[in-house]
Amino acid sequence: MPRGLWTTTVGSFPKPPHLEKARNQFARGEITADQLRALERDATIEVIRSQEEIGLDILVDGELYRGDMTTYFAELMEGFQISNPVRSYGNRYYRKPVATGPVRRTKSWTVDWWKFAQSQTKKPVKGMLTGPYTMMDWSFNEHYPSREALAMDLAEAIREEAMALAEAGATFIQVDEPAISVRPEELKLAVRALGRAVEGVKAKTITHICYGDFDVIYPALLDLPVDMIDLEMANSRYDLLDRFKQHRFTKEIGYGVLDVHSHRIETKEEIKQGILRGLEILKPEQMYIDPDCGLKTRTVEEAKEKLAVMVAAVREVREERGITA
Amino acid sequence: MKIETTLSGSFPKLPLEPGAPNVRVIRNRMDQSKATEKDLSDAARETTRRIVALQESAGVDIPVGGQVAWDDAQTFFARGVPGFTIAGLIRYLDTNTYYRQPEITGNVSWARPVTVEDYRLAQGMAHRPLKAFLPGPYSLYRFSRDLHYKDPKEALAAVGEALGREAQALEEAGATWIHFEEPWIGRAPASEAPHVAAALTPLLRGRRAKTVIHVPFRSPAAVFGAIRDLPWTVLGLDLVEAADAWDLIPEVPAGRTVALGLVDARNTLLEDPARVADSVRRARSMRSDLSWQLCTTASLEYLPVDRAAMKVARLTEAARLASANGG
Repeated sequence: MPRGLWTTTVGSFPKPPHLEKARNQFARGEITADQLRALERDATIEVIRSQEEIGLDILVDGELYRGDMTTYFAELMEGFQISNPVRSYGNRYYRKPVATGPVRRTKSWTVDWWKFAQSQTKKPVKGMLTGPYTMMDWSFNEHYPSREALAMDLAEAIREEAMALAEAGATFIQVDEPAISVRPEELKLAVRALGRAVEGVKAKTITHICYGDFDVIYPALLDLPVDMIDLEMANSRYDLLDRFKQHRFTKEIGYGVLDVHSHRIETKEEIKQGILRGLEILKPEQMYIDPDCGLKTRTVEEAKEKLAVMVAAVREVREERGITA
Repeated sequence: MKIETTLSGSFPKLPLEPGAPNVRVIRNRMDQSKATEKDLSDAARETTRRIVALQESAGVDIPVGGQVAWDDAQTFFARGVPGFTIAGLIRYLDTNTYYRQPEITGNVSWARPVTVEDYRLAQGMAHRPLKAFLPGPYSLYRFSRDLHYKDPKEALAAVGEALGREAQALEEAGATWIHFEEPWIGRAPASEAPHVAAALTPLLRGRRAKTVIHVPFRSPAAVFGAIRDLPWTVLGLDLVEAADAWDLIPEVPAGRTVALGLVDARNTLLEDPARVADSVRRARSMRSDLSWQLCTTASLEYLPVDRAAMKVARLTEAARLASANGG
């Protein structure tokens, strides 16, 4: 009997309103770091329980203690300062890292959180990092002579963290590279930097990519030196499958079936159809079913409902096709 | 000869001084029903005043209004044009910023002025002619999802026509400078040249205002043949991210103006004005039959407001040095 169609998520979960409020209170100096940390731990326990109840196979810690996916790491590193707010869209702003000196990892960024999350469940919890190319591309650079030099120093730092996660027992380590797909001319640099970041890491390695111009970067994307590439499939109406027909997808795939930008809860049938279309050209043991991207922009309830429908759809496909987890 | 200075596009909306009117704070308070539309419009007016004043006090020759009411560079215009509907957020090219994607769901046809009030508000606060901003037609089309037209050329002509009508409305409101932002022209392969021409031709025909075709991020070399002889006034080039755009300078028709994008709008590292002035001199040495402007490579809104203000000061200082020594 074939195995496959394991279920997971891309990383972030929505912060419950009381935690958002607490983060704002902390920013205004109204509560202490310890008080915030206690609330983050409680919320992480809740996210782990929620994923177990839904029946996901591979869990995440939900990243409830992180703000922006680059600034979180930069704040913990040597060589970065954090800018004043920059607009990303409309009334949304974020603070960007600014490389002002050699960037270095001087302490762990995520290992304690990973250990804490893993201690709450018997299922595997993914270690979650942001990749060197994305860290470089989404930072200002006032120190390095080139984008490459910054990316490669970041790769060294990220590799240290990935090794520490593997040493702590993480069997899945995801190094997100959402920026990789928008500058095809730098794909070789991205491949080299990610390759260094995961070199020698004894775990299944994953990278998540979204948004880009896949006409240009596929099949070169398969050069990324990881075991699994996680892609948004639903958002592009599974158009990527046509490219996979022309050039076989040779790695494991994180197969996104939920539109994380929509409030609408997908139907079980449409998710099943998306998975069945994938099974026409991919093997079940290649496929990990998940949302298109992180769920942090959805409400807690929307995230749960979407994931519950996803897991139900996967169970039906497994049963119909005789596939086990 | 004096080098004129200008900016390209929008400017950060947050105040430099704590406690100053802040549209971000007001919009957050509106979400909590603690502020009104009037509060927002008051804050937007004061923000625009601050942005114009900052440029004028730094000595910018052709200031911009800052697009305080715009969520991104496309949808403010597209939202007001029949034929467009506005869909979900997607990433803006290779930046970590986003825009709501316009969708073409019917015939694109201009119905009323969309940006004129925004322009009038800013111009009313300026002591010099201000540069109005519009998305360029080729880029607006490429940023959009076309669910209506069967022939892209037909769609591009319609989008160009609508923008031409908007430009006319701006001219009637007194605009003497109109900036068209065209990042996609820098990404267009040579095969797209007919489409680029189809979009820009109706737009530029018979314009009274001086027109700027600004191409941030990449060189428009592949399709430059299609735009070279169109009646634009200024070609804006990004000479930081797209160093190969220097190669286009010999191709520019005599008598035109090139806006040299030498102040990097996407990195906080501050330029040395003397080095920027050297680059201006380099351009001048290449052609004596062109006029020159010095500008930012792209919108300064990619930067935090403190750095954006410093960049404006460096820009005008570099122009002063280049003008003083360049003859």
